[in-house]
This record gives sequence, structure tokens and C-alpha cells, in this order.
Amino acid sequence: MIGYVCKYAPIELLHALGADPVRIEPLAVSFDAADACMHPNVCSFAKAVLEEMETGSYEGIVLTSCCDSMRRLYDALVDRFPEKFVYILDLPRHTDREACSLYAGQIRALARAYQEFSGAEFNRGCLIELFADGLRTPGQLRANGRPGQLSVGIIGARYNAAVGKLVEQCGMSVAFDLTCVGQNRDLSAAFGDGDVASELPELNDNELIEVYSEALLGQIPCMRMADISRREAFLKKALPQVDGVIYHTVKFCDMYAYEFASLRKLTDVPMLKIETDALRQSAGQVRTRVEAFAESLREEKGLMPAPSLIHRKGTAVYVLGIDSGSTSTNAVVIDGEQNIVSSLVIRTGARSIDSAHRACEEVLEQAGLKREDIAKLVATGYGRVSVDFADADITEITCHARGAHYFNPSVRTILDIGGQDSKAIRLNADGTVADFAMNDKCAAGTGRFLEAMARTLEVGIDELGPLSQQSTNKVQITSMCTVFAESEVISLIADNVDKADIAAGVHRAIAGKAYGLMHRVGLEPVYMMTGGVAKNPGVVAAVEERLGATLYICPEPEIVGAVGATLLGLDSLA
Amino acid sequence: MEVARTYGGVVASQLDDHPNRAAALINFGLKAESFRTGHLPDKPMPAAYRYLNHMAIKSVADALKHPETLAWTNIFAPVELLQCFDLECVSVEALSSYFSGFWIEDSLLDRSDAAGFAPTLCSYHRTFLGGFESGIIPEAKAAITTSLACDGNVNTFRHIATQSHIPLFVIDVPYQKTEEATRYVVRQLREAIALLEQATGKKFDIDRLREAIRRENRSKQHYLSFLEKRRKHLYPATLTLTEFTLFATHLSIGSEWAEKFFEMLDSDVEKYPVDTSHRIFWVHVTPYAEPALASYFNYSDVYSIAADDFNLDFTGQLDENHPLEALAEKLIDNVYNGPLSRKVDIVAREIEHYDCEGAIEFCHWGCRQSAGGAQLLRSKLRDRGIPMLVLDGDAVDRRNNQDGQIRTRLEAFFELLDGRKGGTA
Repeated sequence: MIGYVCKYAPIELLHALGADPVRIEPLAVSFDAADACMHPNVCSFAKAVLEEMETGSYEGIVLTSCCDSMRRLYDALVDRFPEKFVYILDLPRHTDREACSLYAGQIRALARAYQEFSGAEFNRGCLIELFADGLRTPGQLRANGRPGQLSVGIIGARYNAAVGKLVEQCGMSVAFDLTCVGQNRDLSAAFGDGDVASELPELNDNELIEVYSEALLGQIPCMRMADISRREAFLKKALPQVDGVIYHTVKFCDMYAYEFASLRKLTDVPMLKIETDALRQSAGQVRTRVEAFAESLREEKGLMPAPSLIHRKGTAVYVLGIDSGSTSTNAVVIDGEQNIVSSLVIRTGARSIDSAHRACEEVLEQAGLKREDIAKLVATGYGRVSVDFADADITEITCHARGAHYFNPSVRTILDIGGQDSKAIRLNADGTVADFAMNDKCAAGTGRFLEAMARTLEVGIDELGPLSQQSTNKVQITSMCTVFAESEVISLIADNVDKADIAAGVHRAIAGKAYGLMHRVGLEPVYMMTGGVAKNPGVVAAVEERLGATLYICPEPEIVGAVGATLLGLDSLA
Repeated sequence: MEVARTYGGVVASQLDDHPNRAAALINFGLKAESFRTGHLPDKPMPAAYRYLNHMAIKSVADALKHPETLAWTNIFAPVELLQCFDLECVSVEALSSYFSGFWIEDSLLDRSDAAGFAPTLCSYHRTFLGGFESGIIPEAKAAITTSLACDGNVNTFRHIATQSHIPLFVIDVPYQKTEEATRYVVRQLREAIALLEQATGKKFDIDRLREAIRRENRSKQHYLSFLEKRRKHLYPATLTLTEFTLFATHLSIGSEWAEKFFEMLDSDVEKYPVDTSHRIFWVHVTPYAEPALASYFNYSDVYSIAADDFNLDFTGQLDENHPLEALAEKLIDNVYNGPLSRKVDIVAREIEHYDCEGAIEFCHWGCRQSAGGAQLLRSKLRDRGIPMLVLDGDAVDRRNNQDGQIRTRLEAFFELLDGRKGGTA
């Protein structure tokens, strides 16, 4: 088994050399081995590939010099596995004749090296057959999946198998895949309408490799190539044909952010940006984003799933919503007239399901109701999937939008800073989601960040806001990373900087991050802030200053998601 | 420093609503600094560095003032070609350093993040992109970048060239040196020349290129001769000056002023006292604004940077009879190109040759090509008995440096070097 990670890798040739090429789609548990020999700031996909190689099931790997992280991965692997076939192909960035001939030379050198390594023979017939197959495979853009199904394009950096599976699970079919690894390579793109496949047997070995190199380099270019006009042309054609785009980036891979930044300006197609780090642990975070995206696309297309009617006739209707967050669990009961009957906020304990049970019991008690009186129970929030007694679960994005609209119908942009995630949501006039953006993998700009800073400052989380309002000097805190910021705060304390100034600096850092998120969805007033952090006057003031506008904050900003869940539940009963 | 900080605050306050005013303030600041370095130089600064300091600032100030002769490049671009078209090269790295010098890098970095560029991208590139988005970077005549030495180049340049509709050429530098690879680069250099001819309306004169190459060869000989003499003599320097030397070894190499600077270095160094300092070999960029590093290295006779891999990334002589082939090979042979094993050999050789006790690599935020290999380089040097310190930080973004952290690591490393010196005595 020989691994590869790049769509420009000569996969057909590896088959013809008797190798068993396998696309590496790594999901690591930790980066222990990678961090020991690389650097924490190297692209996490590259690190996960190194971890995957540690499993020992590969006889080698064929990389390309496609990016800095891959070049450094090669150095680390050569050093770590001298007995394996670790090879790097010099992949040109241009695709003209000289470039093709340069790459052909690289492919020939790879063939010689692998033959020397394995003793295998080159099977010319096999290469011709697979190459011809590749040439005859229809282009990148595929027809829609089942009728009524959503069709999406995936663009960006290398993603792992879990992301693909998740997209399918959310009822979306992939119309095109323009990522680095490229699930469906189109080898015919270089040749237009000519029937190159039937001419292959006539070519001598050298010519065959030349044409093969031309085909590989002729694929729709990735972002590291010098000329991406064919990529832009493809997207221009493909984007109007899909319901949405999932734009995938990898932590510490910077290449695709450029395209994302410009695509936003070019197209109205709904776009979800997700960032993964090839670690198993991040699956939950990605799930929320992809599910919410599917929900909003379905709503836009009028494809909302049929409501499950468990309506109890002849009695008053009550709906219960539970927002199971990482820090707090919030529960709300509304009646059929959309009046809030009772609500409460409790801290989420070690097991989110226990807190959900407790919140459910207490909110019912407060309302003087029993579980049987509830026509529908809807769960939302990070722990929504584990609330097994709920009738339905909806992501907190859709719920927040609906809840915000309930409290103030003029709101168009919401900033929600939760414990684990922070998000900006842009609303349509009817309270549905127009667009949303969430923090990347890292916790910078979330409630966790504030908690860490409060702990470092040795003040209670509730004291942080009032404390910051006593600040007299501007202190800067990095907006990069919770861990870095923490050590920075420690140095400031060591320098005897006033705690109030540090607290205000922390809030400005959060506000900077929040502003970036809100900017990503488009800054449309009226603005609202929800979530527990909205109770911190320091953060609110800092965001307002950055925004140059006031934030609407409802009396209990923590229950907005749960209220939205009840309203959506009530809709489904109609 | 405080003056620059206050001035930076004024510039930053104009960024949002009056980018032209902010740009004018930056130009004025650079001109003032150019005047100051020409007439009121820092006292301990040796003559050659005074000249360098003045010329480095002047070259940027002049280029920004005359956008009609301005070319955006990266630090590795073949500037010798651009000189043949009378273009002033301003690199992403140089301009971002100046923005940082004006204390406005934070506003520009935030601007870049808000525009959607990755916050994990190299902060030289992010600061430049932030400046571009703010409208304070004047439009250039053309842009030339190499793919060497990092991923950011192709994408940053493509973005700014597309947005401002100026011609761009990307010189792709192959990873391995083969005859085909050299031919591939030569062909690209020819295309770059054609693009510059069109952009400037001037005809390429190969004799001018030969002249530049002769100056470059003499400059490199002077530089190597200086470093040879520097093994005996301590030539006072700062982190900023080590960084500024990149203007002479890269952005202005082949120019008359760069040659003059290297001549001055070469002739001046022996006037200085015997070097008794701990000699350090520096790997990658020098973060001039980092307080702990600055306090230990600036004009110090206890610790000094004897040589660095960036200014020495290519030390060969160019064949003036085959100038394009020579420039192509210069790019492919760069120490930052190819597998890390090559860099290990070159760096180890230089450390030994320049009598360095150890090496420090500064892993600049976002730089995968350098940071990605730092641990491996460290372990390979350790195998050869050379201690190396790896520091994490940011050469542009002040907020992104943990001074206390850097100070502790640096001091422990110096204690280790002291121990080694004591042990062998």
C-alpha cells in the first residue's frame, strides 16, 4: 500500500508499477508524533498524515512539492522512515510544454525509483487502460442526486473521509469536488474534445508519459498553481448549478482563504466555510455547522422535512425547547399563542444529558405542567444529539435566528458568543437564516477564552465586565489564541499592569474576533447579541465600539436559542 | 520608538476613513526617517550600516513616492532584471516591516483577518494584504514574485495583481536542480522580461544585466570577505541592521549603492576591536522589535550574530556570459529551496566556518517552510554537536510575541553556551 494525498499524483502509473496506491484521508487522535518532529503551526492535515504513517500499514508514500507543509512532511518522513518508500515529485506551478516535460521527467524518475525499491515491472498495458479510463470519465460536474435532494459543491483544502460522510448524512449530494485530493479527477480537461484515449497504444513509453504528464497538469488547477483562470471558469459555470457550497479549509493551511475571500464577492450561492484539523475530536463542531447549513438550504428550497404531528387535540398546546450548551443548559416552555410560560438557565454539568433532564424537569415544574402536556420537545445546542428524549433536534443557528426574530423582528445580524462556539448570523426579514459564520477550530473569541482570562486574572467571570469598565489605559492582547493570550496576560500581571486595563484589553480582543465574524456575514443593522457573554457589559461595550453601533440585548440573552427551538417546534405542529 | 508609536496611532486613526491621508502620513514618516538617518545617525552605528540604514529607508520612500517606477516583488525576486527597466523593487516583507516600524501592523492585520485571509498566514503577507485592503499601498507598474520560498507568494501576489489590474509574473522555482529545471526557469525569466518590456515600454538591454551581475559578483565577494574578517573583529550591529542587510543582499543586489555598502563593510570591519563575544548563527528572520532579543544582541559585545542563513542564502558567483542561466541557478540553488537535508549541510558548514557556538532559529508566525523544519534542523545539528535554540514568535506583529517566554529560553540557551565554553576551557 502506497499512500498519496494530491490529485496531481500519478496514481495510474503507481498501479501500473504494481503498487497499491491509496488516498490517505487521515483522522488522527493526537499529533504527538508530528509535534515532536514538525512544528505545531504546520498544517494539521500534514501532521495527521504523519500520524497515519505511524500506523505502519503503508510501504511508503508519494508526495508532491505542492505546498510548504507537504515539503516539510517529506523531510520528516524521510528522516523517520528510512526503510520506507518516501518520495516527493517536483510539481510545477505552470502547465505549459516545458512544465509538462519537467513533470514527465519527474514521473519517469519516480517509476525508476519505485522499481528499484520493489523490484516490480512496469505494466504498460495497465497504465494505458487506467489512463484511458481516466480520460473517458465525464468531467468534474456531476448530475444531481435523488430528486428533492440538495446538491452541493465542495471546494478547498484536503478534507478527510468523515467530512464527506457527514455531508451525505445531511442529505446533500456532492455535485463537484474541487479540493486538493479531488475525489473525482478529470484527466481529459487538458485535451478538449480530441480522442486521446484511443491514440495511447500508438505512443512509445516516453511519449505516453509526456501525454500522461500533460493530462495530470491539465486538471482544473488548485490554488498553488500559477494560473487559476480555468478554475475560475469552472466555478463560474458550476456555482449556479448547485444549491450551496461547502468551503473547506484546514487549520494552518492558508491557501484557500484567498479564494474564499474573493468567491464571497462573486456569487450569491449560499456558502458554508468549515475548518477542520483532521482530529477525531472536532467532529461535533463540524457537524453543527454542516447540519445548520443543510437546514437553511432546505428552508430556502422549500424542502423542510414534513412535521411529525404529535398534536394532542382538545387541550392547550405547549412546546418545550432545550438548548444544551457547553456552559449552560437553557429550557423554555411556550404556549400555542407564542407566550413564554416559563424559562430557566442552569450550568451544564459534567454530563450534558443529566443537565438536560434536570432543566426539563425544573422548567415543567415552574410552568406547572407535566411531560405529557408537552406537544413537542425540541433540542438544540452543542449537546442536542444526546438529548434522547427530544422529539426533534435543530441546530442552534436556525434556532437563534428564529428566537432573535421573536424578540425583535428588526434584527438582521446576531452575534452569539457561547462557551464553545461564537457565531454571527445574518437574518432574512422572516427570521430565517440568510448566512452565518462561526469561529474556527480554536477557542479564541469564545466564552472559554473569557473564562481562561478570568481565571488567570483571578477574578470571577461575572466580575470581569464591571472590572474592565474601570480601565484607564489601553493594553493590547493578542487576538490569536487562547493559550498565547493566557501567557500574555500572565506577563502583563508580572509587569504590574492594572487588572482593569488587562480585562478591557481581553474584551477588545474578543470584540475584534467578533467583528471579523460579523463582517464575514455582512454587517447589516439592527444588531443583536445573544448568549451568556451578552451579560458582560465590558464585551458589549467593546463590540459596540468596534461596530460603531448599538447592540440590542433582550432581557435574558441566554434563552434565545431555546425560545427559537420552541417556536420552530410550534411551527411543525401547524 | 515612542515617537514612532504615537505617529503610528495617528496613521492608524486615518486608516478607516482617509486611506489617502494615512498613506501620505506614511510617506512623510519615511521621508523624515530617511532625512534623520542621513543627517542625524545613531551614535554607535558603524559607517557602513549608517549608509545601509539611510539607503534602505530612502529606497522605500522613493519607490512609494514614484509609483510609476514601482514594482511589487517578494524578497527572492530576480531584482537584477527589474533594475534593467529602472524599476524600484518594494517587497511584501520590506513594506510590512515598515508598517510595523510605524506601529500600525495591528490595524492592518485586523483588516486582513476581517477581509477573510487566514489569520494563520505569515504576518508579513497579512500586513501587506491589510495595507492593500485599506488602500494605503500605491499601485505598482508590475508585480514579480517567485514561488520560492513559501506558499504565500503566489496567492498574495495573485490577489493584489488581480484586484489592481496590474501584470504579474510568477517565477516557479523547481525543487530539484536538473538541466530541465534550469531550462524551465530560464524560459520563465524570458517571459518575465517580455512582461516588463510591455509594462514599461522599455527594451531589455542584456548589457545592463551583465553590468548588474558584475556588481553583484563584486558585492558578494566583498560580503564574504567582510564575514571572513568579521571572524576576528566585532562589527557592532543590531537585529534591525541584520534585517536591513537583506535590502543589500536581495532587493537591491546588483545596484551601485549595494556594492558601495559591501565595499564599506569590507574596508571598515578591521578597524573594530577583537571579537570576544559568543558568536551566534541566526536562522531565518530577525524580529527587530522583540525586546528580549534586542536587549541581548543590539550593539552587544557579549553576544553577536556572526552570520545568518538568509543573507547567505546564495553565495556563488554568477556567470555574466550566461546571465539568465546564472539567475535561474541562483534561484534553484537557494538554501531555502529543496529538501531540508540540503539546508542542514549548508547551515552546519557555515556555523563551523564562521566559528559560531550555536544557532538560533526564529520561527516566524505562519512560516511553514521555516518553522516546519526547525525541529529537524535542531536535531540534525545536535547530532553534529551544535546546540540550536528554536524560538516561536512574530517578526511583524508585536502582539504575537511573548517577551517573557522568549527571554527565559534565550537566557537558558546562553547559560548552556557559557557552560560549554567553561567545559572546554
